[in-house]
Amino acid sequence: MWIDLVIKFALAGIVLFAVLNLAGIQTWVERKQSAVMQDRVGANRAYFTLPWWWAAPINWLLRKIGGLGLLHPLADVIKLLTKEDFVPASGSRLLHWLAPWISVFFALVAFAAIPFGDSLHLFGRTIELQVAHLDAALLYVLALASIGIYGVILAGLASGNNLATLGGLRAASQMFAYEIALGVSLIGVILWYGTLDLQEIIRRQGDLLGGWLPAWGVCVQPLGCVIFMTAALAETKRIPFDLPEGEPEIIGYFVEYSGMKFGLFFLTDFVETVLVAALTTVLFFGGWQIPWLAPGAFSPNVMALLGVGAFTLKVCVFLWLFMAIRWTLPRFRYDQLMRLGWKILFPLSLANIGATGVLRVLVR
Amino acid sequence: MATLSDQLLHRIREAHRRRTLSWWERIYLPAIAQGLWVTSVHFWRNLFLHLAHRVGLFRRIPAAVTVQYPDEQRPTAPRLRTRHRLMQREDGTPRCVGCMLCETVCPAKCIYIVPGEHPDPSVEKYARSFDLDLGKCVYCGYCVEVCPEDAIRMDTQRHDIAAFSRDGMWLDIIELLHPGSRKHTDPPKKFIQLELEDFRRLKQSG
Amino acid sequence: MAEPVKTVTLTVDGKSVTVPPGTTVLQACEQADSPVPFYCYHPGLSIAGNCRICLVEIEKAPKLQIACYTQAAEGMVVRTASDNVLQGRQDVLEFLLVNHPLDCPVCDQAGECWLQDYYMAYGLYNQKFDEQKVKKSAKAVSIGPTVMLDMERCILCSRCVRFCDEITKTGELGIFNRGDHSELGIHPGKPLDNPYAGNVVDVCPVGALTDKDFRFKCRVWYLGSTSSVCPGCSKGCNIEIHDNRERGQRPHIAQGRRIMRLKPRYNPDVNQWWMCDEGRYGYKFIDENRLTQVQLRDGSGYRAGSWDEALGLLTQTLRRLKDAQQLDRAGVVLSTHLTNEDLYVAKRVFGGFGIRSLAVQPARQGSQDDFLRRADKSPNTRGAQAMGLSFDVKAVLERAARKELSLLWVFGGDLVELAGEAQAKTIADSVDLLVFQGSNVNRTCQLAHMILPSAVYAEKDGTFTNEAGRVQRIRQAVQPLGEAKPEWRVLLDVADRTGFLWEFRDAQGVFGSLASHEAAFKGLSYDVLGDQGAMLPQKGSDPSGKGSDPNR
Repeated sequence: MWIDLVIKFALAGIVLFAVLNLAGIQTWVERKQSAVMQDRVGANRAYFTLPWWWAAPINWLLRKIGGLGLLHPLADVIKLLTKEDFVPASGSRLLHWLAPWISVFFALVAFAAIPFGDSLHLFGRTIELQVAHLDAALLYVLALASIGIYGVILAGLASGNNLATLGGLRAASQMFAYEIALGVSLIGVILWYGTLDLQEIIRRQGDLLGGWLPAWGVCVQPLGCVIFMTAALAETKRIPFDLPEGEPEIIGYFVEYSGMKFGLFFLTDFVETVLVAALTTVLFFGGWQIPWLAPGAFSPNVMALLGVGAFTLKVCVFLWLFMAIRWTLPRFRYDQLMRLGWKILFPLSLANIGATGVLRVLVR
Repeated sequence: MATLSDQLLHRIREAHRRRTLSWWERIYLPAIAQGLWVTSVHFWRNLFLHLAHRVGLFRRIPAAVTVQYPDEQRPTAPRLRTRHRLMQREDGTPRCVGCMLCETVCPAKCIYIVPGEHPDPSVEKYARSFDLDLGKCVYCGYCVEVCPEDAIRMDTQRHDIAAFSRDGMWLDIIELLHPGSRKHTDPPKKFIQLELEDFRRLKQSG
Repeated sequence: MAEPVKTVTLTVDGKSVTVPPGTTVLQACEQADSPVPFYCYHPGLSIAGNCRICLVEIEKAPKLQIACYTQAAEGMVVRTASDNVLQGRQDVLEFLLVNHPLDCPVCDQAGECWLQDYYMAYGLYNQKFDEQKVKKSAKAVSIGPTVMLDMERCILCSRCVRFCDEITKTGELGIFNRGDHSELGIHPGKPLDNPYAGNVVDVCPVGALTDKDFRFKCRVWYLGSTSSVCPGCSKGCNIEIHDNRERGQRPHIAQGRRIMRLKPRYNPDVNQWWMCDEGRYGYKFIDENRLTQVQLRDGSGYRAGSWDEALGLLTQTLRRLKDAQQLDRAGVVLSTHLTNEDLYVAKRVFGGFGIRSLAVQPARQGSQDDFLRRADKSPNTRGAQAMGLSFDVKAVLERAARKELSLLWVFGGDLVELAGEAQAKTIADSVDLLVFQGSNVNRTCQLAHMILPSAVYAEKDGTFTNEAGRVQRIRQAVQPLGEAKPEWRVLLDVADRTGFLWEFRDAQGVFGSLASHEAAFKGLSYDVLGDQGAMLPQKGSDPSGKGSDPNR
């Protein structure tokens, strides 16, 4: 009924708000974290002041957060919006415009199936903290993540630039290769928990194995976890898997993009990173579960809110980890990339399925 | 082409040969973890120091090696080739005799000299106009090297050539004799030709 | 002339050379491809033998001998590159440079200085001299209207003194005092001021005598050189045009002017090694007061037009006259400053139209002497005569003044100078279209209805015929300024538009056609002319033979 619609809109708004903000803040984190890791200062210049005398305290604050570089994302957005939006004469205007929107749209829509908390009980209603409660949520997320390839290929083809086309094809072959390892590695999880419903998967991770070890995916599927994280990182096309982009040397699919259309690709990158962090949390690190906390310690609603906090914290930790990996490892060579995808991750994930199956039968 | 000696060939082969990696090394994960450990140590140490600096602690331990360029400048080595200047005689006239050797030797062809007749026959010639287009200059220092009068030097320690236009990178003879006298928003006086009296007056007016 | 020719055979560096008697060893060495360095020797002057750099080793002579003053003798064995000779040259050079200042950077001669050249070739010694140099009194002094003297740089070779004594016979210069106080100078109150004074700068092997006109203007290593012929008078002295070949990158040199100086070029039959000052400094018009664009009269003023527009207008006028059978209403005034090619194409094109009022403007008369300068101050009077062109320009102008012409096309010359101010104005008012085609601004420009810029001699290829009938080539040294074009090119364009078809597209082709159509030029071509030119063939004589110049 109407109230359900309002609740769904509110949930969608919250998720969208959180995801976009996380992505935006990541541009700052990207700069700052890399700088701190490399003994640099990082972004610390962009700030503005208001011209009125009564704005002095605000200006003081603006200077402070400007000194932290927090206004750089804002400056970036202004820059991207005011830059010339260039479409090559040999390119296809419509597809060139469509490609970044496809990329960012499907990356955002995938969040609908991510549960970020336990059910909330308010005014006699049970509100699932998830935009869309799907039985096959895992398949839905995988499917939407795969559609992102279209954006990349379209961008490469619509640019009317041979180098961009090559970049797009490179991106496609990389994403296909890792898509398979990604999907196959998750079969272990499905086998173990026996469901495709993400909320259900999280609930089943609430147990303690042997009384002390949380029954998280990482504990029962360690190999699957490593394969998933590797393949998922490759899906985000970030270093060390940034061969589709590699703008300084090998030129990627968005070489002909400028302005906010380039910004959308940039945003997609960060949104996908958040998505991968959220999926890792959900599948392998207990989602919103807080280990060793007795289920009845607080009232159910407080527990649910604490769960949301735990989920957010876990996601942030993974974002930090992905960022650290990005600034630690050098880029793969293309043959190394393909070998890793097809000859190592794929057989390993197959082996993982077999081992899980055997283990599952034995444990039961 | 001379053939490579056996010794050299051997060394090249040695350099090309790859060390065979153990299984532990080949799964790479430990190395990745090691790398992450190094970067994370830096991250947390520097994060702590940055925060500590904010509240005034551990100021003496630097958290970053960055030089905040326009605000703070690193001292440059005296032999660094920086922006040019023309040397003056005691009365403020240029030491340059307009022999055009620098103009000739300049590989970027960025020096433009118009010579004039000097009233003192033992000097004979002087530069009425001496222009240098920093937009073309490659800072090779040949002009300094070739000058028979030590009239041009590259030791002003100025290395910023920011300008709003190509013209803004043009150095006229006044700017060259008195580095820093022209505001970078002012247009240069291209090919301005000065008499000896003008040079003396310029020196007096500072 | 069946006189038995005596010859002398000698050996230079192991090579046997046969020379006429009276030849010096230096000339014999040159003939044997073993050139000897020299300063004071000049083939056009008497032999002084005072610089001593031309030392050679002659077998059976006790010491090294100077090659310039020793006559070649039968059986002589000369060595020009033995250790002794090289050591001797080095020592002589060290003596010559004892009092020479090290001011090459400010010296205009640097780059074409024989001291520099020979030091690099034969010097390169460690200096043993550590006394004070003797300071000469004169440094950068004017010794005449065109020449500056720097006594410090002089090596006292006395070439300039001999030039003034022997060639101009004016004797202004002399060497005063003795020993290392010897100085070149002028007599008090008698400056070096003769019509050939500029040549002393050419003969000076070092930077002691420099040209005021060229002083500090341009470094010599920026200069490009093109062989040409002086257009200053009908003598047709051979010259080299020195232009600033780096003006693209160095536009500031000499305010962007292109031609830096003229130098005489050796031609035994015309000017030998010399040229007069009038011609030497007569190059200024190449870069000054030039007409650079097509201009069309617009009311009382002028507006810029294009070649397309101007040629269209001309073609239209000519065609209208032709259609109306009124071609006798067109007149052309040519000039003796035009090249043979220009005159020929004009004759053909206008003749082809049937225009009969065509005359060459007679040359301006000026001062002359019995050496190089001629009263006829135009380079090509003889060429116009040889082509049989009429010089009756008065008749054309009178017809114009009587309103019998509707088109008058004036090439180069100044109508006002020719006809006087009043008549020129009358002519301009009475013709429908007065075309002036010239290179420089003059008073006719204010009267003409159409001004076409043309290239000067330094901007085009072509030939001039001098007063003796010697056809000599001029070559393009620089690109035409602005929209300027050679006259023959413009005439060909007009011809093209009116339906004539021409088989040639360059000056060489024009000359080929000229040689085959004009009897006076029969057998000539650019290949035959070469660098030194060739005489117009006399009836029955061989055109390619270098005929003797009666003025020699």
